[in-house]
Amino acid sequence: MSVPYPVASRGPEDAPARPGSASERNMPAPGHDGSWDGPTYYGRPALKPAPFEAEVVGGYIFLAGLSGASALIATVADVTMGERAAGAVRRGRYTALLAPTIGSALLVYDLHTPERFFNMFRVAKATSPMSIGTWILVGFSGCAALTAAAQYASDRGAAPRTARAAARAASLPAAVLGAGLSTYTAALLAATSTPLWAAAPRALAVRFGASAVACGAAALWLGERDGGLARRLETLAAAALAVDLAGDAVSAIAYRRKGVAPAMAGPAGTLEKVVGTGLGAALPLALYAASRLAGRRPPALGTLAALAILVGGAAFRTSIIRAGATSAERPDVSFRFMQPDNLPD
Amino acid sequence: MPTMSGVVTIAQESRFQLTDEKGVSHLFLLSPHALAEDDDLEPLQREQARVRVTYEPARNILGYRARRIERI
Amino acid sequence: MDNVFHMHPRAAEHHQSSLDRVIPNESELTAGVRIEPGKSYGFFTDTTVCIGCKACEVACKEWNNLPADNLGLSGQSFDNTGALSANTWRHVAFVEKSGAGGVRAQEQQPFQSGWLMMSDVCKHCHHAPCMEACPTGALFKTEFDTVVVQQDICNGCGYCVPACPFGVVEVSKLDGKAHKCTLCYDRLKGGLEPACAKSCPTDSIQFGEVSDLQGRARRRVADLHARGVPQAYLYGTPGAPGATGGMSHLNAFFLLIDRPEVYNLPSAPSRPSRRVAPSLFSGLAAVAGLTLAAALLFSDAERRA
Repeated sequence: MSVPYPVASRGPEDAPARPGSASERNMPAPGHDGSWDGPTYYGRPALKPAPFEAEVVGGYIFLAGLSGASALIATVADVTMGERAAGAVRRGRYTALLAPTIGSALLVYDLHTPERFFNMFRVAKATSPMSIGTWILVGFSGCAALTAAAQYASDRGAAPRTARAAARAASLPAAVLGAGLSTYTAALLAATSTPLWAAAPRALAVRFGASAVACGAAALWLGERDGGLARRLETLAAAALAVDLAGDAVSAIAYRRKGVAPAMAGPAGTLEKVVGTGLGAALPLALYAASRLAGRRPPALGTLAALAILVGGAAFRTSIIRAGATSAERPDVSFRFMQPDNLPD
Repeated sequence: MPTMSGVVTIAQESRFQLTDEKGVSHLFLLSPHALAEDDDLEPLQREQARVRVTYEPARNILGYRARRIERI
Repeated sequence: MDNVFHMHPRAAEHHQSSLDRVIPNESELTAGVRIEPGKSYGFFTDTTVCIGCKACEVACKEWNNLPADNLGLSGQSFDNTGALSANTWRHVAFVEKSGAGGVRAQEQQPFQSGWLMMSDVCKHCHHAPCMEACPTGALFKTEFDTVVVQQDICNGCGYCVPACPFGVVEVSKLDGKAHKCTLCYDRLKGGLEPACAKSCPTDSIQFGEVSDLQGRARRRVADLHARGVPQAYLYGTPGAPGATGGMSHLNAFFLLIDRPEVYNLPSAPSRPSRRVAPSLFSGLAAVAGLTLAAALLFSDAERRA
């Protein structure tokens, strides 16, 4: 009687990497890049990487930042400039719908049992950034949807005064929750045992928040006709990018000091440096500075800068997710990170 | 998808063992898209119920992924 | 601890080898402890007496109906299991010290010099990072102070996986839920010792109340030190390696005689939830600062217009 089992000859699927023998010769070269130079267990991972799909979760983090910051900037523009910023406010309020719609869909898609997504609403836990984020997203979605609906009503001329007041009333909590939505994702990554994410919790959060504001300002810049407001959106984006770059420098020091820098040496780290930081922050900053110095502002350059910020923002999040997985899979990185000198005070 | 019938002899969380007519035991894991839930398995095991399982093969483990369980 | 064999007085009541029922409070006979809700239970794994028989792995798979996986040979000593995973809740690690570098040592120390073996398991941390991270409440503390994933609630978000500082929890791609050792929650409720501890032929895996086990482990370390094994130490007891960074203590702890990394354990894990507040508030502060900048910029534009 033949047993219809998939026996070993069929070959393993997703089997762990297997160095060839019990000897230590297949281990990573010890300490060549500041990582752990002590023993490992056959070079096997000591941690498990998060089972997140980098593009899906990275895409959500990007959209959450973009939506939250758009709602925030639109509200600030509405409160300070009123009718003069009507176009930017309208676009900001509609852009804020990206996280509740596409973002939520991405989150549910990334669950391994998506049919049970509603179990997220069973509890609220301060120790779990994912639970905190769930409730921030729920609150933000409600407020952003109300704001957008009232905006739509006033655009169509249905009870314009009431609708405008309702939009402003709902946009204030949306702005506060938007700030949370664009930054809680850093706590989500930092409050894990994945070395790269946990190594610089504060700098990562500053980077996520600043990059979100830059993305929001860039998105609102696209389509802004008022030259004065457009220039100020550029200045805001430039300020946010400067904060982002400062956060990048601080986190790079922390990564080196805590021994997780080798995880940034691979393709994901290169993508982060070239596209995330180079294209997404350094290039737009240079473009803004050049146009300011030249005194001329060709719109094509502004569009290029805005698009670079958005593409860089998405690449930054995705590559951080990927590099985090690398840091968890490399025992030399994780053992170096989990040495007593890296313990929080 | 292939099917197999037999008796549910062990149920643990989302895993169960099915003993077929020839007396061979097979291990199944409930697919996240299965119509049955974990709680449905325990009564089947207690009653030693005869069931037909619609399943898909799983690679790299000695077991299958159950998509559908029907009493027969 | 003492080398004299004591039979539990109740054992005489059960002289037949096949039973038609479960013995009430069987753990009293097998582990010398009565299992009662509200107390804290765990494992003490004494690696110095582990012989690498993998009875614990087999007993665990048998009782929990877990599928065999990754068939084949790894080439890494006798460890063909590899790691704890969704389908493997006990994993025996084999460290061949005398074979390191491909050169076999010509002389060996008299005790535990060439071979280290350790049966690894979920640590059932006192402040369990996986449980703190779980956004659905599927991971919970049982009445026995153990950490269990409720399979009917878990939605497979996978956030417990990076939370665990020991790489224990895994989401199964087959059924889309997180899995890990339950410390035989169902057996504990029935008064039975966990399957792995019951099957361990050398009592390397000891099950009991955590405070009792910690006392027993300290006496064992003192005993080993007295016998000339000064490198023996505990991993996961309060203040020891493995219980660092706010982890308090691990309900499943170990006696080791080499660096933790040799056994694939981290020296100084920390509790991830401690990073929630610093991260959250730094991010909010950065956004608040930029919001203020935006307000100043925009109101300046309004003034000039």
